Amino acid sequence: MYVGQPLPRPEDFRFLTGRGNFVDDIKPQNCVYLAFLRSPHAHAKIVRIDAKPALACSGVLRIVTAEDWAKAGLGKLVCVHPMPFTDGRPMREVLRPVLASGEVHHVGDVVAAVVAETRYQALDALEAVEVEYEPLPAVAKTGSALDNKAPIVHEQFGTNQINEIIRGDKSATAAAFAKATHTVAMTLTSNRVAGSPLEPRSYVADYSPQTDQCTLWATTQVPHMLRRWICKYALFIPEHKLRVISPDVGGGFGQKVNFCVEISTVVWMARELKRPVKWTSTRMDALLSDTQARDHVTQAEMAFDKDGKILGLKVDTIAALGAYLSNFAPSIPGNSYPQTITGLYQTPALDMRVRGVYTNTVPIDAYRGSGRPEATWVNERLLENGARDIGIDVVEMRKRNLLQPSQFPYKTPVGRTYDSGNPPLLLEKLVALAKYQELRAEQKRLREKGVLMGIGIAAFLDKSGTGPSRQLSTRGGLHGGFESATVRVHSDGKVTLYSGSHSHGQGHSITFAAIAADRLGLPVEDITVIQGDTDTVPYGNGTWGSRSASVGGSAIYRASEKIMVKATRLAAHLLEGDVGEIVYENGLFSVKGKNLSISFAEVADAAYHGAHYPDDPGFEPGLEVTIFYDPPDLNDPEAMHLAVVEVDRGTGRVKVKQYFTVDDMGTIINPMIVEGQVQGGLAQGIGQAMMEHVIYDDEGQLLSATFMDYAIPRASDMPALTSDYICTPAPSNPLGVKGGSETGTIGPPAAIGNAIVDALWHLGVRRIELPFTPHSVWQALRAAGA
Amino acid sequence: MYAFDYKRAATLEEARKALEGIAESKLLAGGMSIVPVLRYRLAQPSALIDLGKIEALKGVSEADNTIRIGAMTTHYAVSRSELVHNKIPALAQLAGGIGDPLVRNRGTIGGSLAHNDPAACYPSSILALGATIHTDRRDIEADNFIVGTFTTALKPSEIIVAISFPPPDCAAYIKFINAASRFSIVGVFVARRRGAVRVGITGAGDYAFRCGPLEQALSAKFTPEAARAVRIPADGLNDDIHGSAEYRAHLIPELTARAVEHCLAGTPGAII
Amino acid sequence: MTRVTINLTVNGKVLTAEVEPRWPLVEFLRDHLRLTGTHVGCDSSQCGACTVHVDGIAMRSCTLFAVQADGCDVKTIEGVSSGNALHPMQKAFHENHALQCGFCTPGMIMSALDLVRREGYELSEETIRHNLEGNICRCTGYYNIVKAVAAGARAMRADVAT
Repeated sequence: MYVGQPLPRPEDFRFLTGRGNFVDDIKPQNCVYLAFLRSPHAHAKIVRIDAKPALACSGVLRIVTAEDWAKAGLGKLVCVHPMPFTDGRPMREVLRPVLASGEVHHVGDVVAAVVAETRYQALDALEAVEVEYEPLPAVAKTGSALDNKAPIVHEQFGTNQINEIIRGDKSATAAAFAKATHTVAMTLTSNRVAGSPLEPRSYVADYSPQTDQCTLWATTQVPHMLRRWICKYALFIPEHKLRVISPDVGGGFGQKVNFCVEISTVVWMARELKRPVKWTSTRMDALLSDTQARDHVTQAEMAFDKDGKILGLKVDTIAALGAYLSNFAPSIPGNSYPQTITGLYQTPALDMRVRGVYTNTVPIDAYRGSGRPEATWVNERLLENGARDIGIDVVEMRKRNLLQPSQFPYKTPVGRTYDSGNPPLLLEKLVALAKYQELRAEQKRLREKGVLMGIGIAAFLDKSGTGPSRQLSTRGGLHGGFESATVRVHSDGKVTLYSGSHSHGQGHSITFAAIAADRLGLPVEDITVIQGDTDTVPYGNGTWGSRSASVGGSAIYRASEKIMVKATRLAAHLLEGDVGEIVYENGLFSVKGKNLSISFAEVADAAYHGAHYPDDPGFEPGLEVTIFYDPPDLNDPEAMHLAVVEVDRGTGRVKVKQYFTVDDMGTIINPMIVEGQVQGGLAQGIGQAMMEHVIYDDEGQLLSATFMDYAIPRASDMPALTSDYICTPAPSNPLGVKGGSETGTIGPPAAIGNAIVDALWHLGVRRIELPFTPHSVWQALRAAGA
Repeated sequence: MYAFDYKRAATLEEARKALEGIAESKLLAGGMSIVPVLRYRLAQPSALIDLGKIEALKGVSEADNTIRIGAMTTHYAVSRSELVHNKIPALAQLAGGIGDPLVRNRGTIGGSLAHNDPAACYPSSILALGATIHTDRRDIEADNFIVGTFTTALKPSEIIVAISFPPPDCAAYIKFINAASRFSIVGVFVARRRGAVRVGITGAGDYAFRCGPLEQALSAKFTPEAARAVRIPADGLNDDIHGSAEYRAHLIPELTARAVEHCLAGTPGAII
Repeated sequence: MTRVTINLTVNGKVLTAEVEPRWPLVEFLRDHLRLTGTHVGCDSSQCGACTVHVDGIAMRSCTLFAVQADGCDVKTIEGVSSGNALHPMQKAFHENHALQCGFCTPGMIMSALDLVRREGYELSEETIRHNLEGNICRCTGYYNIVKAVAAGARAMRADVAT
């Protein structure tokens, strides 16, 4: 059995020896370079662009603006996951332009593209492009976007409101609040963050006029979707004429899942110039253009009865989506966020409103966690403050409110049905792992010495394995949720798997090989995995939303099953027996009770020789299966985190001393990889909690445009970590797998925030602003008069 | 970056000649400060004159009971110098906390002081320790060296050769670290010599400065409480995304108090 | 501006090249020598993905110019292992799952080797964490990297002993 083993990864060798193949490593002969001119203004009319001085610069081949894009009759960067108003009205849609036309709407908005023989020449020429702007008032603060006097990002609407999503039952919730013994109300802000995969986005496009074929090497998580979008929506070229190759990708986290601004221009210029065109983002480009995440302002209230049981939840959120709608963006606050807002609790009544707004900032889109960190931050802060207000221990408070295993599948007031879970067991394990009672005793001891130790918990639901394609389309999605898999057995019995998923660090190779090896009864070394080439891999929906194991892996599994059906039939034929008599073990087919056997390799050999195979209608030579697996449902990973902090009262600095996680990801295929995903996610969650913050001033100027101001956790910023797992298999896929790669980002803001409030509760602190920088904590202490 | 010429100086004399002879040329020390500036195209020198191979500018020595550190001595070398550890451990502590190991392998004390970043660590130490900056043409007392944001008393084409530090009776450096840049949000260097206390603050203002009220309070009574009792006004202090002016005004006496605690305990300070 | 001739050794190979003074060493390595194992992850000299060894000392190749490497001995990740056998530090990274996307990995290993040079073969967790502050990883959360560096250092001592 390979599934369940911590098998090491075959791709490590090339990464360890510097032989990875990342897009920026690719340098075709005769390659030219692209640079983008970006707006220094958050909001301005483009009065005039004069590229003539730049065209005269040495080495410059072409300069393009929105006017050229329009003249060429090219298209748009479509929103593939729109979210209309709940009352049916379409959202107020302004798509991200490939090149800004007429106006710029955020600092970093692309105004022109310069192509030159060398990168230096392109950068030099950028400075010679003359642009005259007429600055306009800008709005950057999310909480102000709907104010009466707020500057309007897109004048045609007269408002910055994009849509309004209503969930739950207003009157039922009002009634619940009316009979509540206790309520907690809070304003909660989820800080804007920048995913910042370490490898900057990079694209190389090459066009051959002889074959009319274009090849695009792209840092993308979704090679097929990218090809489709570029072909269908942006450049109007036939799909069979564009090959997208996603080689090694250095982290994605959602920043490489959309078809951002720059990609289309690179492909377009390659086709125009008939030479390879290359663009690699600088880190500053990334902070000015890669999609960003979170950025909510929420008014929320929770109602409790005298025993601390939740009676109702009210949530009113303004969610920034930035200056334009990016591809998935509306669905993050519009769908993922509401679907997980009540977390793991029995919340009888919910009254929820989410309004997406435009601001003069970089567009928001998916980023690891996508909506669930925001949801957990609201739900869990309210719960713990409620617990403390009423006087109930925070663990006990969870016990009283958690869903019981017998309640699954559980239909929430949002309408979502959770598939499986055992929240009380998660809590039990967490409490044991953290030695909770001892922590409380230590807290008491330390407090007597004036040391401010705090303990905080976050219990939450994740949502993964997107998803049933029909379900996606009823929500307006322009893409499916199936995943492709080809299992190609070679004539010597070795196997190559092709998957429409795309690994950018998650170790798909060994994971998928293990699944196939178990199902095919073969050694895992006999199986290789190919991803990331639209010429060779059947259409897949790529890697995001923790879907690769549950959807991609299930696709591999189902395809492997079909291989076994065919191989068994062929074996039976070759052994002159009935299929019912065939036993398969350790790579050998044998006839029950007889001394006859044939190996998998021999069956493969026969399949490809084609001389002997059954007369069954439709039975063909060869041994290869391709399927498109459409999952019947999403799945629900669940987890609980506990954070132990110490607050330095004099400076406000918080040290996260210990961190505990218990995860339910259903069946774990490779515990080594899963643990790596939890840990990596945790670093990003702790990043959001403690230090990461994309900050715009009131005029929309980006104040955190480099890593000098945008803090990313280092090795010394991580707490001592202890992790454990339980397993309630996902009922909807053959592997029982739930997505495991995002829970790490979801818990920390709530767990650490709760811990800080716990540490400072006796000093009067009730609220803490994300991120929990020393400045933020010091302000909380001051506000409480401490 | 913009194009520039490059000249590797074999001697101090060669460096001075090049600096004087080539208009708009700049010195290259460790490169930790100047290279990012060039990469962002914020400066356009015509040439860089590399001091990296001038051995005479490197090393730590002792003369007349002062510690003399060559301008091209790396932060790593200062942090590991036995002389510095023995005589001014707080300075070794400071050097060992600059940036990260890769910065410390290249960054130099001369480069840092000449650049005079408002949040750099070394400027606070030269003020607190009353150091002397030796250039190729004169000696400049620390109090006269720092004159503005990224501005020092150095004349164009004047080159720092070494810095000498008279050892204190006790000293400590508390660096309140900026998680992003790994510079200080506020850094405080306290040094006491024959009862007189000097307090050098970095990160809090347009440039590093000595804090008179804290120096007076601590010269009178060298206790953490005496430091904490001093109220620093917020006016003129840095106000940015890493902390408000009020916050920095609060941190200055608080971090000073911790530096005093270290002095009294005989420990050289900490990064907190 | 005029090009300068440099003579240097890269991964044991002596070579001569004409470079523009403004070319960072990382650009020279990646674009001209086509040693693409050294990566560029930021523009503020912070992420450490570009770490190489120059005359045995780890430094950021984005913050050093190729001209400054004249007369120097440069080692990149490609020069760490010999033939097909992994260096003990590389092996430790593999065995401890200390890499995911692999982008920070070359720089991380070069820094780890420098740490062993400076601090020896027995490295505490605190020392490792503190000394990796110049290398950002966005994927792993650092836990396995810390384990790998400790294991790699111990394996290097065993290697030296045999």
